[in-house]
Amino acid sequence: MRARALIYPAGDKMKEKIGVYVCECGPNIADNVDIDKVIEVISALPEVAVVERHKLMCSEDGKKFLKESIQKNELTRVVVAACSPKQHEATFMKVCESAGINPYLFQLTNIREQCAWIIADKAEATERTIRYIRAALRRVPYQNALEKKEIEAKPDVIVIGGGIAGLSASLLLACGDRKVYLIEKANTLGGKVKELDKLLPRMESSSNIISQKIKEVENNKDIEVYTNSEVTEVLGFLGNFVAKVKTNEDKELELKIGAVVVATGFGMLDIKQIPRYGYGKYDNVYTALEFEKMNTEGKILLKNGKSPKSIGIIHCVGREERGYCSGVCCTYCLKFANYIKSKLPNAKVFEFYQELSIPGKAYQKFYEDTKAKGVDFIRSQDIEITEQKGTLTVNYKAETQTLEPQNVDMIVLAPAIEPNSDADRIAEMLKISQGDGGFFQEEHPKLAPVSTSMEGIFIVGCAQGPRNIPESIVQAQAVAGKIFSSLIPGKKLEPEVKTSEIFEALCIGCQACLTVCTYGAIYFDEMKRVCVVNEVLCRGCGNCVGSCLSGAISTKHFTTIQLHQEVVEALR
Amino acid sequence: MEKEFTPKIVGFCCNWCTYAAADLAGTSKLKMPSSLAVIRVMCSSRIDPTLILRAFLRGADGVLLAGCHPGDCHYEKGNYYARRRFVLLKSVVETLGLDSERLQLSWIGASEGPRFQQVVTKFTEKIKKMGPNPMLEKISL
Repeated sequence: MRARALIYPAGDKMKEKIGVYVCECGPNIADNVDIDKVIEVISALPEVAVVERHKLMCSEDGKKFLKESIQKNELTRVVVAACSPKQHEATFMKVCESAGINPYLFQLTNIREQCAWIIADKAEATERTIRYIRAALRRVPYQNALEKKEIEAKPDVIVIGGGIAGLSASLLLACGDRKVYLIEKANTLGGKVKELDKLLPRMESSSNIISQKIKEVENNKDIEVYTNSEVTEVLGFLGNFVAKVKTNEDKELELKIGAVVVATGFGMLDIKQIPRYGYGKYDNVYTALEFEKMNTEGKILLKNGKSPKSIGIIHCVGREERGYCSGVCCTYCLKFANYIKSKLPNAKVFEFYQELSIPGKAYQKFYEDTKAKGVDFIRSQDIEITEQKGTLTVNYKAETQTLEPQNVDMIVLAPAIEPNSDADRIAEMLKISQGDGGFFQEEHPKLAPVSTSMEGIFIVGCAQGPRNIPESIVQAQAVAGKIFSSLIPGKKLEPEVKTSEIFEALCIGCQACLTVCTYGAIYFDEMKRVCVVNEVLCRGCGNCVGSCLSGAISTKHFTTIQLHQEVVEALR
Repeated sequence: MEKEFTPKIVGFCCNWCTYAAADLAGTSKLKMPSSLAVIRVMCSSRIDPTLILRAFLRGADGVLLAGCHPGDCHYEKGNYYARRRFVLLKSVVETLGLDSERLQLSWIGASEGPRFQQVVTKFTEKIKKMGPNPMLEKISL
């Protein structure tokens, strides 16, 4: 307790001049809270310098009234009792600032959503309003003035991965005043799309589309392309990253950038792990990408050089084992049927599917057109492939009964999409998390699908989860938008003000806080043997405070003493 | 006649989910007992166990810790840490001679105004049945 007194000098809290402003919010608060009574009780408290009410504090008139009253009474702290801080905290903080008082010396207490609107009895609602205002009144003297900070930011971007998502993001980002460094591990750009024959549903040539994009990238003077290269280290934070890149000449490059786009794409499940599909054991059992290669080379042929008379396409290979639907296989399996029907019109095609996943405005028609070409769709499960004298047999169950096995000459398997084999290394290097199936974890599955927990690091395309081409491009464009609006050339950044801080004198160097921080915002100072907060990275969640055994950490504006005061008064 | 016991409950609510749910309950005008004092924090993981113990020592009849549903945390995994600390704290509370049922953890998502109402109402009823915080008689601060 003595140590705490050192950190939070009590000072003379009674010297503060605190003003309390009660908003009627039209009839919203006034109808169910006896504001006269509230004013009467609060005015009688010794720490209060002035109590005022207003019909609608957030109106222009109300804000002017608030500003003038703060100035006239030379207040040092302000409590506004009105609506939810989610609604007007920022509004009143601005008023405080314009009145010459630090906006963090103000507290908004929620007497509308938390009192007037939810408590049926007016007397009870009034009593509770008084309690809430008292809690805010007791908290506000312990609040500290916080200052906004500004830091320089680099607008340039590094894009890891030169597939369709990386190419699209690079092209959009490099439109004038920022440089893009595109780093590709392979010796050419284009990624997996380059390995495809045609793109559905219009069956256009994949290589035309991708080589057009590659040409645009290579001709763009703002994009520097490094193939056969790998990013080996990324340090820093939004606006100020330093990345190390190992290039093909075995040189090490150091790049200063403001944001990182991870477009590392995907890998395919190794089907040998599931022996019942017979891959690697029998001839003429191919993976989807092997079948694409066959088609780009122009001919669908069996190992013996003959054309197959029947082909089975197996969906959902590894879906149950991996625990998710890869989303793109059903549609590309339809495409495969089209490949076959155009090259070998008389060949029989069987699609063995579990559930058909073909959402979207174009694919239903694509499915119907494909079916009309004489393709058999067989709903099946528990597939096992066997071979006898060169003939492959698909054994399967439908719903509950076992059906007659189907003999075919060739089998094409649609394996589950997996994260790139590099994903673990990249996640560790960038300090971003991996979620379901090992894909990079987005900041929020619905509200922030392309950002990560590390500000300034973005994930696009299949690096984030199985995606088709248009979805990957949409994500790439979304990321470009995110970067355009957060890294404006010449504009400085304002990092979060309500960050955590660690008091050296109390820190025992156990590093518990370091392990719980999602944002990598805490590092260990080896010399001083204490943990230190990087205030630019800190988002102010306060998890480190909860983890600290020695009470050395505090989150600004939500300090223990502030919360303690609020709790004590709320319980009085 | 003896006055009816109205419990005092402190509710630590995370800014992103539960506080938003409390707001939604408000805008939906869902009525509930006035027993709960909401303390807004950015994340449920901010609540170090001592804050909850302080509330009990200061006479709280119940403490509610509420945050985003698992997997929904605004800070990715703060609520998981909150849950672990909560489990540990439950046993600490028992050693202090308090029924650990007085401490409750609830996940209330931003869209769950009615759930907020339900949690507050049910928890209040439960604490009402349990009676006032017995610590108050044993210690004085």
